[in-house]
Amino acid sequence: MLAQELALGILSQNRRSLARAITLVESSLPKHRQAATELIRILKSQASPRETLRIGVSGVPGVGKSTFLETVGLAMANANHKVCVLAVDPSSQISGGSILGDKTRMQKLSLHPNGFVRPSPARDTLGGTALRSREVISLCEAFGFDRIFVETVGVGQSETTVYSMVDVFLVLLLPNAGDDLQGIKKGIMELADFIFVNKSDLDPHACNRMAKYCESVYELIHTPREGWKPRVMTGSSLSSEGVDELLRGLMQFEQFLLQNSYKETVRRTQKQDAFLQELKIVAWDQFLKTKNNVINKASSSLIEDKISVADALWQVIEGE
Amino acid sequence: MDNSYQEWKKLAKKEIRQEELDSLFWDTPEGIRIKPLYTAQDLSELTYTDTMPGLFPYIRGPRATMYVNKPWTIRQYAGFSTAEESNVFYKKNLEMGQKGLSVAFDLATHRGYDSDHERVMGDVGKAGVAIDSVEDMKILFSGIPLDKMSVSMTMNGAVLPVLAAFIVAAEEQGVAVEQLSGTIQNDVLKEFMVRNTYIYPPQTSMRIVGDIIAYTAKNMPRFNSISISGYHMYEAGADSVHELAFTIADGLEYVKEALSRGLAVDDFAPRLSFFFAIGMNFYMEIAKLRAARLLWAEMMAQFEPKNPQSSMLRTHCQTSGWSLTEQDPYNNLIRTTVEAMAAVLGGTQSLHTNAMDEAIALPSENSSRWARNTQIILQEEAQICRVVDPFGGSYFMESLTHSLAHEARKVILEMQNLGGMAKAIELGIPKMCIEKCAAERQARIDSGKDTIVGVNRYQVDKEDEIETLEVDNSRVREQQIQRLQAIRKSRSEADVKEALNAITQAVKDNQGNLLDLAVKAMRLRATVGEVSEAIALVCGRYEAKNNLISGVYAKGFLGDQEFMDIKQSVCDFNQIHGRNPRIYIAKMGQDGHDRGAKIVATGFSDLGFDVDIGPLFQTPEEVAQMALEADVHAIGVSSLAAGHKTLVPRLIECLNALGASEILVFVGGVIPRSDYEFLRQKGVASIFGPGTPVIQCAKEVLKLIEAKGKD
Ligand code: B12
Ligand SMILES: Nc1nc2c(ncn2[C@@H]2O[C@H](COP(=O)(O)OP(=O)(O)O)[C@@H](O)[C@H]2O)c(=O)[nH]1
Ligand SMILES: [Mg+2]
Repeated sequence: MLAQELALGILSQNRRSLARAITLVESSLPKHRQAATELIRILKSQASPRETLRIGVSGVPGVGKSTFLETVGLAMANANHKVCVLAVDPSSQISGGSILGDKTRMQKLSLHPNGFVRPSPARDTLGGTALRSREVISLCEAFGFDRIFVETVGVGQSETTVYSMVDVFLVLLLPNAGDDLQGIKKGIMELADFIFVNKSDLDPHACNRMAKYCESVYELIHTPREGWKPRVMTGSSLSSEGVDELLRGLMQFEQFLLQNSYKETVRRTQKQDAFLQELKIVAWDQFLKTKNNVINKASSSLIEDKISVADALWQVIEGE
Repeated sequence: MDNSYQEWKKLAKKEIRQEELDSLFWDTPEGIRIKPLYTAQDLSELTYTDTMPGLFPYIRGPRATMYVNKPWTIRQYAGFSTAEESNVFYKKNLEMGQKGLSVAFDLATHRGYDSDHERVMGDVGKAGVAIDSVEDMKILFSGIPLDKMSVSMTMNGAVLPVLAAFIVAAEEQGVAVEQLSGTIQNDVLKEFMVRNTYIYPPQTSMRIVGDIIAYTAKNMPRFNSISISGYHMYEAGADSVHELAFTIADGLEYVKEALSRGLAVDDFAPRLSFFFAIGMNFYMEIAKLRAARLLWAEMMAQFEPKNPQSSMLRTHCQTSGWSLTEQDPYNNLIRTTVEAMAAVLGGTQSLHTNAMDEAIALPSENSSRWARNTQIILQEEAQICRVVDPFGGSYFMESLTHSLAHEARKVILEMQNLGGMAKAIELGIPKMCIEKCAAERQARIDSGKDTIVGVNRYQVDKEDEIETLEVDNSRVREQQIQRLQAIRKSRSEADVKEALNAITQAVKDNQGNLLDLAVKAMRLRATVGEVSEAIALVCGRYEAKNNLISGVYAKGFLGDQEFMDIKQSVCDFNQIHGRNPRIYIAKMGQDGHDRGAKIVATGFSDLGFDVDIGPLFQTPEEVAQMALEADVHAIGVSSLAAGHKTLVPRLIECLNALGASEILVFVGGVIPRSDYEFLRQKGVASIFGPGTPVIQCAKEVLKLIEAKGKD
C-alpha cells in the first residue's frame, strides 16, 4: 500500500514522496524494512534507467564539504543537471540526537528547482548504513536525479563504505594540515580520484604546498584504477576558484568511465560486494539464531577444557 | 589590621556555625570568585586604586565633574510604524523630559530592503520605523532642529544610505553636516557575532565602516562615527567578561582599520563611542564600566595618541532586556531600576531604560513613560548625581574592577593570538563562546539553579492583562509603497542610475568614499534598497553559517530526573517509529534574534531529537520546502520581531499547498498572549512564550508529535 503510493509519487517526481521514501528506507523498524524492500522492487521494475553519476565526497569536519557541494552542485543544477546531496551528519554520541545544519550551508541548492538536499543523522555508526545509503541512491535515481552526491565525514570506516557505492571519489583537504602532513591517511589517498585542497582564498601558498605533497605521495603509491591517475587540485568553495577546473576534471572522468564500460563493471562489482557483505551479516544473524544451543554447549565444553577449539567448531557445524 | 581580620573570621564562623567560610564565597558565571568581605589588604597589590575622574586611566569616569555638573543623558531607544507616528512620539517624549533621540529602524531598513521587497512582507514598521528614502527621514525629524538635537541611530547593515539620508534631511532643514551631533552605531563586527543585521561579506562591511570613520573625521566633528557595542553580545548570552573583552577587541580592530587608511589616531579616536548592557548582577555591572575605561585607556596607549580624549572611553548603556520577563511583568520596573542604578554608579554617559512590557511587545505609551521616569526619578528625586564615582575607593569595587579587567585581558589576548577579532569572528569562535554561555545560563534557569522571580520561583497564579502596542504592518507597508511610487515618479531616473553606478564602481575599484557617494545618490532620491543593492551587485549578500554547540544544555541537568525521563520518552519514540522525532527550527523574515532558536535547537538535540536548523531570513515558502524535503515531524518557528501574524499563517498555507499538512507547526518567542487564539485558529499546534523551560517545550512537542502519529 504505502510502497505503492510512494513509488507512484517518486515516479511522478513528487518531492514529498521522495522525502518520505528516504525516511522509510532509513527506518530501523522491521515492518518499514519490508515496505522499503517492496518500494525498491517496484521502482526497479518501473523506473527507466538513465546515465547517472554517483559522487562520494569526504574530508574532515570543517574542511568545507557542504560549502563545496553548494558551489559545485549549483553549477551543475544551473547546467540542467538534476542534483541531489545526501549528507550524513554525525549524531551526538551521548544523547542520540543530532543537529543537522547542512541545509544552512546548502540553502541555494536546496531551493533550486533542480536540487535536493537531504541531511541524515548517522545512526549507530555503520551497521546497515551502507545498504540504506545504496537504497537511498536508487530512490534518487528513480526520481530522476543524475548527479548524486554522498557527503561523508572522514572518520572511521565511513570513507571506504561510501567508496563502495559511488562511481567517483573526491577528497577535500585543508591546506594547513601543517606539520602533520603525514597525518593524512594514506588509505584515503589511495581511494581518491580527485583531491581538492580547499580554502585557497585563505592561503594559496599553503594550498600549493599541500598539493605538491599529495602529488609526491602519488609518485610512490599504487592507485587502484587502471588508466586514471588521481588529480590533485587547489581552490576555494567560497570564492569558486578552481571549481571550473574540477568540473572539467569530472567530465573527463565520466569519459573515462564510459570507456570499455568501466562504470558498468565497477557498479556490478560493487553490487556483488554489497550483496556478499550484507549476506554475511544476515547469514551470521541467522546462524546465531538457529545454532544458539549448540554454540552455548560447545563453548562451555571449551571453557571447561573438555574439548579442543577444532572439536568445538566441528560440534557447532554438525550439531542441531 | 591582620589581627582584626582574624577576629572577624572567628566571628563569622560562629555566626554561620561552620568550621570554614567556604559557603560564603561565590563563583560568578564569569569565573570570578567573590569573597564575603574585602579589606584594605585587597587593594595593596593593585595599581590605579587612587586615581582621579577625568584623568588617565579614567576608571572613575571620563569627566572631572561627571553628573555633579551635568547628569547623564536620558536617551530612550524608540521607533515604530511610519515616520509620521515615530515623529509624534519623539516630540512628546522630548516634552516629557527626554534629552536625546535614539532611532530604532525596522528590520527591512536594517537589512537594506525597501518596504515593497517581497522578503520583508512581515517586517515593515514592525520592530522599528520604516525608512525608505530622504522623504521618510525628513518626516521623522520634522519640527526637531537637527543642529541642536543629538541623534543616535542604531544602523549597521544599511548604514550608508541611512546615514546619508540623515545628512541630506538635515541639509534640507538648513543644517550643515558639520553641525550634526549624535552617534551612528556602525559596528558591523558584532553584527556577524550576534545582532545579525549584516548585509555584505566581512571585507566589504569593514571597508564601509572605514569609509564612514574617514568621512565623519573630515566632515562631522561632533558626530560619533561608531558605537562599539557589547550590549548585543550580553543580550545574546555573553557573560560580563566576554562582553567586555570582545567589545574592547572589536574597538582595537576598528582603530586598526582607520589607521590603515592613513588617518592619525587623534583624527578619529576621540569620536569612537561605546555601548554596554547592564544586567542584574549589580556590583559586577558597575565594575564592568570602570574596567572598560581602564582597559581602553591601557590598550590605546600602543597607538601613542596625543589627545587624551583618544583613550577616554565614553559609553551609552541600556538596561538588559533579556533580564525582563513576560511573567508578572510589573517586576520588570524593579529590575530596570536596579540596573539603571548600576549603570549610573558605573558612570555611563547616557542611558536607555527598558519598559516593563519588554518581553511582550514594543513599549506602549504608559510603559515608555514609566521607563523614562525611572531615570528622571534617579536624577531629580534620589540625589544620585551629587557626587562623582561614589564607589571609588571601595575595597570590593576596586578589587572587582581589576578582576574583571584581568579576566578580560586574557580573552583579548586569545583573540589577538587568533589574528585579531575580525579573524576570530570569521572562524566563528566568539559566537560559539557566547552561545555556550547562553546555553549554560538557560540550563541554570530551567533547572532552578538561578532564580528568576515570577518565572521559576514565586510565580503568580493569574497574570493580569496589560495593554500592548500593536503595529498594523500591512497598513504601514501600503503607505510606504505609495510613497516609494511617488518618489520614483518625481525623480530623475537617469541621474539616480548614474549615482548608483558610481557606487557600484567604487566598490569594484575599492576607491572613493562610499558615504560621500551615498549622500549624492540619496540626495537625488535613490532609496535605501537601491543603494544597498548597488553594493551587493559586486559582493553579494552574506550568508552566515551555523555552527552549533551541543551537550552544554544537558550538562546543566546532570542527574536530573525529569531530564532523564524526557530522554527516555524520546528513545521510546524511536523504538516505535523507527527514527527520532525530527524538528525543523525556522527563522522567517528579517528577524535576526537567534538566541532562543539556538538554545531550543541545542537543548532538543541534547534530549535526543534530530534537529534541522534552518538559516536566518527565510520566507515561509522556503521553510515549507526545506522541511518537507527533510521529512520532519514538526516545524518550530522562533519569532521575536512580531512577524508571526503574517508569516506563520503563510507557512501553514504553503505546507497545505504542498500536501504536507501533517507536519505540525509550533511557535515560540515573543508572542503576545492576545495572539495565541489567532495562531491556534490558523492551525498552530502549540505556542511557547518567553520563559518556558526548554525541557517543557520538548515534552509538549514530543507529546503532540506522538498524538499526531496515532491518528
Ligand atoms: C536578546 C534580545 C535582542 C538581542 C538578540 C541577540 C540574539 N542573537 O538573539 C539583540 C540585542 C541583538 C536584539 C536586537 C534587536 N531587538 Co531584541 N530583544 C531581545 C530580548 C531582550 C530577549 C530575547 C531573548 O533572546 N530571550 C532569551 C531566549 C532564550 O528566549 P526566547 O527567544 O523567547 O525563547 C524562549 C521561548 O520563547 C521559547 N521559544 C522560542 N523560540 C522557540 C522555538 C521553538 C520551536 C520552541 C519549541 C520554543 C521556542 O523557548 C525559549 C526558551 O524559553 C527581547 C525581549 C524579551 N525579553 O524577550 C527583545 C525583543 C525581541 N527585541 C526587539 C527588537 C525590536 C529588536 C530590534 C529589532 C531593535 C531595532 N529596531 O533595532 C533589534 C534587531 C535584532 C534583529 N536582527 O532582529 C523587540 C521586538 C518587538 C516586538 N516583537 O514587537 C523585543 C520584544 C523587545 C521590545 N519589547 O521592544 N534583541
Ligand atoms: N575561507 C574559506 N572558508 C571555507 C571554504 N569552504 C568552507 N569554508 C568555511 O569552513 C567552514 C566549514 O564548512 P562546511 O562546508 O560546513 O564543512 P564540512 O563540515 O566539511 O561540511 C564554514 O564556516 C565555511 O564557511 C573556503 O573555500 N574558504
Ligand atoms: Mg557538512
